[in-house]
Amino acid sequence: MFENIPCKNIVLETLNLEVQVRERTILQNISLQVASGEILGIIGPSGAGKSTLLRCFNRLSELTPGLRVRGEVRLMGSSIYAPELDVNVLRARVGMLFQEPVVFPVDIRENVLFGARRLRKLSKGEQDELVESKLREVALWEEVRDRLKQPAAKLSVGQQQRLCLARTLAVRPEVLLMDEPTSALDPRSTSAIEELLLEMKSRHSIVLVTHNLRQARQISDRVAVVCLRNGVGQIVEQGDSAAVFNAPSAPEFRDYLGQASGM
Amino acid sequence: MRRGLDIVMGCVAGGCLLACLTISTGLVWSIARRGWGALSFSFFTEQIALVGASGGIFWNLVGTTVLLSTAFLACAPLAVSLALMERVWLRSESMKKALRLGLYTANGLPSIVFGLFGFLVFVQWCGWGKSWLAGGLVLAMSMLPTVTLVVLERMAAIPQRYIAAATGLGLSQSQVAWAVLLKQSWGGLISGSLLGLARAAGETAPIMFTATIFAGVTFPKGVVENPVLTLPYHIFILAQDSFAAGVETKMWGTALVLLGLVFSMSVAALPSRLYLHEESDV
Repeated sequence: MFENIPCKNIVLETLNLEVQVRERTILQNISLQVASGEILGIIGPSGAGKSTLLRCFNRLSELTPGLRVRGEVRLMGSSIYAPELDVNVLRARVGMLFQEPVVFPVDIRENVLFGARRLRKLSKGEQDELVESKLREVALWEEVRDRLKQPAAKLSVGQQQRLCLARTLAVRPEVLLMDEPTSALDPRSTSAIEELLLEMKSRHSIVLVTHNLRQARQISDRVAVVCLRNGVGQIVEQGDSAAVFNAPSAPEFRDYLGQASGM
Repeated sequence: MRRGLDIVMGCVAGGCLLACLTISTGLVWSIARRGWGALSFSFFTEQIALVGASGGIFWNLVGTTVLLSTAFLACAPLAVSLALMERVWLRSESMKKALRLGLYTANGLPSIVFGLFGFLVFVQWCGWGKSWLAGGLVLAMSMLPTVTLVVLERMAAIPQRYIAAATGLGLSQSQVAWAVLLKQSWGGLISGSLLGLARAAGETAPIMFTATIFAGVTFPKGVVENPVLTLPYHIFILAQDSFAAGVETKMWGTALVLLGLVFSMSVAALPSRLYLHEESDV
């Protein structure tokens, strides 16, 4: 059930990851792998710990007081908990897109550059080039090219989410973590983001937490199903998307699929 | 029954509001009525003469401005550092609580305690004598809790999602502090400082030991034994000796100027305060 990916280049993997909030275990036995150029979907019912799991991959979990992570997370074969590792460099390499778009209260251009110009020196020309290339990459350039100096908050929610993606891409991440990135969006913006993800996966490995089973089935190469078992979040099933959705074996996942289709 | 209770509560709240308005209007009116006659262009531009019975309050205004500027310059970086310490670098909840408790306690300390501390440390131990710098630093200490608490309030109103997003981009703690926390809490620093300065402007006790005298000085030319004239101390001395009608008018005139100064600083802080509460509702 938890087969490895032998022939591919593993970018991110976890081994027996366990997460505790104060003394309570909320996730355990989490072992998964993300290969280069693939989208791994993480699905499962609310409250199973999917978002918490995602935040362990770039140690953003450390912002939550009382949260303790045990086990191993490796990026390109190196532990992300190694003492010599700079956690800020890790977070730049493993970018994150949140459920709701978080645009900073500055203009559109500054939002794209928010991380990049603080992490590396960029001349004015390089900044302009970066803004244009990243906004083009997220298919937003044509919509905003004439109003780069306008507050980003004036954009629609869908545009804001694409702007956040451009900002994340501007810091040149190798892996993209996405925490239900389309849950706050309308169907049109959702399909725009989905198209982008399919385009981007050749350049970035993507881990996508989603409640949208159609989305997980259509754009994920593989899925990991996180469900509560004995009150603790665990991976109850993982594998190629088609195989997992066509022949679900874990009872928790079958129940979840049943509930989701009944909705 | 519940409707009746609502009406009673409304009446009590309305009555309290009316009482507050009556008291503050009465206070302003009584000072304005007595002090209005003293106000003239020369009152603001001339120096004190005839032990306060004649002349103006030019050097008192200058001295008060010197003290307030010093207090602001000394207080602002400390307040920002303390607020950042609480928000970013202190990990333990008990330490954060201890810091906040300390600030609230210090905020309630009588200003004369700061005055005595300043007297012991700056005037005597440092050997500055009565000095504008000693007074400015004492005022900075007395307003530090207010300013820090307002900056903290503003920082706490910054949604956590901004911090998570900036951290997720790979920004270090100090970059997050600079790019997110400080950028979005400048208004808190300004409004907190104006509120603190409005309070400090009227303080007499802390500066009478440390920084101010009644007459005989102009702009300070050094630190040691370089006191300044100030508005509150001017009022304090004139109030003790206001036998002549001329002196009394000058005293009320000075009080009116001080009131105007404090009021304008509080009003200047208002937009920033209102903005803070709008932000918190997001």
